Amino acid sequence: MSHAQMLRTRRRALGAATVAAFAAVAAQPLTASAQYFAGKEIEVVVPFAEGGATDVGAKFLAPFLEKHIAGNPRMRIKTRPGGGSILGANWFEANAKPDGLTILFTTSSTSHPYILGRKEVKYDLAKKRVAYSMAFGPVLYTSPATGVKSVKDLKSPSTQLVYGGIAAAASDLPVLLSFEVLKLDVKAVLGFTGRGPVRLAFERGETNFDSQFTPVFLTQVVPLVESGKAIPLYSGGSLDDNGRMTQRDHVMKDLPSVYEAHKILHGSDPSGPAWDAFQTSAALTFTYGLTAFLHEDTPQAIVDEFNQAVDRINQDAAFHAEAKKVTGGYPLTSGAKAEKPLRAALKPPAPVLAYMKELLASKYNVKF
Amino acid sequence: MIEHALSALGMLLEPARLAALFVGMLVGMTVGMLPGLGGVAAVSMLLPFVYLLDQYAGLAMLLGATAVVYTSDTITSVLVGAPGSPASAPTAIEGHALAKEGHAARALSVGFIASMVGGVIGAIVLTLAIPVAGPIVLALGTAELFMFACVGLYYASSLMGGNVVRGVLVACFGLGVGTIGPAPAAAEFRFTFGQAYLLDGISLTIVALGLFGVAEVLSMLAEGGGISRARVVLTDWGAGAREAWRSRWLILRGALIGVLGGFVPAVGASASTWVAYAHAVRTTRDKSRFGKGEIRGIAAAEGANNATVIADLVPTMLFSVPGGPAAAIFMGALFAFGHYPGPRFVSENPDLMYLIIWSAAIASVLGAIICFAVTPWLARLTQIRFALVAAPLMLVMIVGAYQATNSIGDIALLLLLGLVGWMMKRGGWPRAPALVGFVLAKPMEQYFWLANQLFGWKWLLRPGVLIIGALILVPVAIQLVRWARRRAAGRPAAGVAASDAESATTARGRRAEGRVSTALSAGMLAMFVYALIEVLGFLREARALPMFAIVPGVALAAIALARDVWAGHWRPDRAGPAAAGERSVVRDELVQFLVLVAYAVGIWAIGFYAATPAYLAWVLIARARMRVRNGVLYGAVLIGAIYALVVLLRSPLPRGALFG
Repeated sequence: MSHAQMLRTRRRALGAATVAAFAAVAAQPLTASAQYFAGKEIEVVVPFAEGGATDVGAKFLAPFLEKHIAGNPRMRIKTRPGGGSILGANWFEANAKPDGLTILFTTSSTSHPYILGRKEVKYDLAKKRVAYSMAFGPVLYTSPATGVKSVKDLKSPSTQLVYGGIAAAASDLPVLLSFEVLKLDVKAVLGFTGRGPVRLAFERGETNFDSQFTPVFLTQVVPLVESGKAIPLYSGGSLDDNGRMTQRDHVMKDLPSVYEAHKILHGSDPSGPAWDAFQTSAALTFTYGLTAFLHEDTPQAIVDEFNQAVDRINQDAAFHAEAKKVTGGYPLTSGAKAEKPLRAALKPPAPVLAYMKELLASKYNVKF
Repeated sequence: MIEHALSALGMLLEPARLAALFVGMLVGMTVGMLPGLGGVAAVSMLLPFVYLLDQYAGLAMLLGATAVVYTSDTITSVLVGAPGSPASAPTAIEGHALAKEGHAARALSVGFIASMVGGVIGAIVLTLAIPVAGPIVLALGTAELFMFACVGLYYASSLMGGNVVRGVLVACFGLGVGTIGPAPAAAEFRFTFGQAYLLDGISLTIVALGLFGVAEVLSMLAEGGGISRARVVLTDWGAGAREAWRSRWLILRGALIGVLGGFVPAVGASASTWVAYAHAVRTTRDKSRFGKGEIRGIAAAEGANNATVIADLVPTMLFSVPGGPAAAIFMGALFAFGHYPGPRFVSENPDLMYLIIWSAAIASVLGAIICFAVTPWLARLTQIRFALVAAPLMLVMIVGAYQATNSIGDIALLLLLGLVGWMMKRGGWPRAPALVGFVLAKPMEQYFWLANQLFGWKWLLRPGVLIIGALILVPVAIQLVRWARRRAAGRPAAGVAASDAESATTARGRRAEGRVSTALSAGMLAMFVYALIEVLGFLREARALPMFAIVPGVALAAIALARDVWAGHWRPDRAGPAAAGERSVVRDELVQFLVLVAYAVGIWAIGFYAATPAYLAWVLIARARMRVRNGVLYGAVLIGAIYALVVLLRSPLPRGALFG
């Protein structure tokens, strides 16, 4: 460590200590761990291509983490694309150490192959510690050409509903499961290269029922809604305190969730294997859509550092202003809150898993 | 409109922003010259610095880099024969052949001028298209996009070379390699051998570098003298300028093909470059020079690739759907500055729009001028011993390939495809169709199944499909009529010789080439037969396109092998002891390849920084006979430069799996 760096670190540590004193949280063992991350660099492994949504998300969070993790470590984002995120996650499994300095920041593209037991998967995601997590909600919308004006019309659209997707056993899974929960007759056309091209196909009129993540919906689809070319229908929803997806989406508060949509369409609470499978897949894709994982043996003190940083970030007004622009305004979830429900979703009960595999095999020709 | 354009120009001309544009251009030009590193590498190298600047300066810097990458890659392609970026492979074929004949300056000046025109056309189209491009992009539905891919494949048929069997076989090989990885329409992964590495398919950069770059560098390492047999004469610049003027309409058409390629999301510069090149082949009366140094091939290809990277910004900015990989990173930068591209972005930020356009246009023009200025200096490199240039090129190609996924598989695949490319070159097979087949495999298959799922077979009757279909069928009909007439008149058909193979001059050399060719035919046959057995177990939707490549592949490989065997290349030499002929070139290059394999194994086992000094010692001191002191010094400089490159790319190099 150079002299200048040491000076900077000391100044930062001093600064952190002062802030801590003023904030009257001095009871916490802040100084000890402030020394831990001070002057260190955290490598955030993003297993997707540069410029993609996950990379953008990681870069958006980096300055806030640098500011709020005690000791102000530098965050370095490293993209490791390949294998639909499996390569990067496998690399993390082989190389990360339990020191909190390597993070795997990823999506359900990593967790779905894990729960479905793809043989290329070499990582044990359910064992990993969670540093922080961010929600990523979907909005389902339709074209006026379907005659559907709200959820209740979904029972009897005037034309076949056509949904464009990428691959069934990946990020499209919870949306496809929502069709099962709601008992909708939707023709799924899979094989697009991304949600952007799917959106273009919707604009061209090739598909008429689409799902986009909230930030994209707000910037790209809302203009279509305003000009009468798209009608928003329902969102994925969010978890309640019992770990069930009964609440409305945190950002799209005006839209019914899948849970409510079921009540509107069928007059009852959803239940059964389809609903359980949806909740599992939705937790992985939406509620904990972007999650930062740590090595399984990471000491609790280091995990706590991240927990405290998340609390501080959620109190930072600048974060909320930025998040409104980038994600639509989802808060950050700490590992302390996310770990238990996330692990449960990563180890679904056998009947739920069997239902998912059976649906994928029979309806979408996925081989296991 | 004009006031926004002028105020944007005023904003760009502020010293700090102009400086950012220049820095971007310098990085872009350097990266463009390094084989295997293209626009993506340049942009991602600059990205961390972009956030230190204001948004205008930051975006100007990124555009400065993107706009010139496909200008400066001409230099490497022409002087070395290894494509500076995947999209300049046609330039490598034609330009390098010209350079060997001593016409490097002509090839370079046409390339630079065409690049500049392509960039400026791209910028103009960007200006004019923004208000009207929305409907155009939306008019191109999945069925129409499939037809465009077919047009590309049809055009590729012009690149087959004189030997139709080998030409089509190589195209099938490219298509087959393109089907590795996920099937778009079925939840099935093909030919992945249980390797996570292959789950996303193979990177274009590695295919282009393997087929073209490795073979060239192997020749350089094996051979003795400089790149051109004659001294590279850089005096006939004027001739180049006149040549460019003669080809002005071709350059323009190339640029327009490039622009169209840019409009279509996810069709990269490579595809449109090949289509433009094939267009040049079709519209040139005397096709005999193609593959042996045809300046018109360079004019069309360089016009197209620069136009594509700039026109890629149209879908990026109108729909937030990046037109290419570099555009995807550019979009990430826009996000970071708080802009969300889309119709609103364009109408609400006219200043930013025009600043982007100006940056692209200015960088295109200045980039070409700078290329003209630096080329005489770079051309001197072709005078020094091959190995001294080849060593850094090989290192950069390995680093470039390693950018694909940062795993050792990248390097292994580079060498495997390098072996295939080398065998094609030495066996007298055309290489271009393989790259075209590879580039088109994905979009063809994807759009075919999407169109089929969306419309059934009714998509065949869509007006756009019929119009584009006519683009293929009408010329085919005309050709058939001409062919029939010519046959009736008893005249031989005009040959198309777009094979980039160099023929051996001695009988012994031809025999060595024949052996390489026999081995390649046998390898192709084995590969296609294996693939055929494998493919039978696939789902219907995952099987169709591979079958389209494999069935003719098996038949053609069998014919090619039968011909090679019939020619008797495999028989032992009866001509007595070998003189210093082509035979030893083949053997020398094979030795170089084996050393390269040993080097790759070394990288895997003990890591890049431990294995590289040994490799450099072999190349520089043992082969090129540098004095030990000079060799060590030069090697240290090279390793230092690679280290700097890796730091800038923010990418590690392989650490040893066993030791290190």
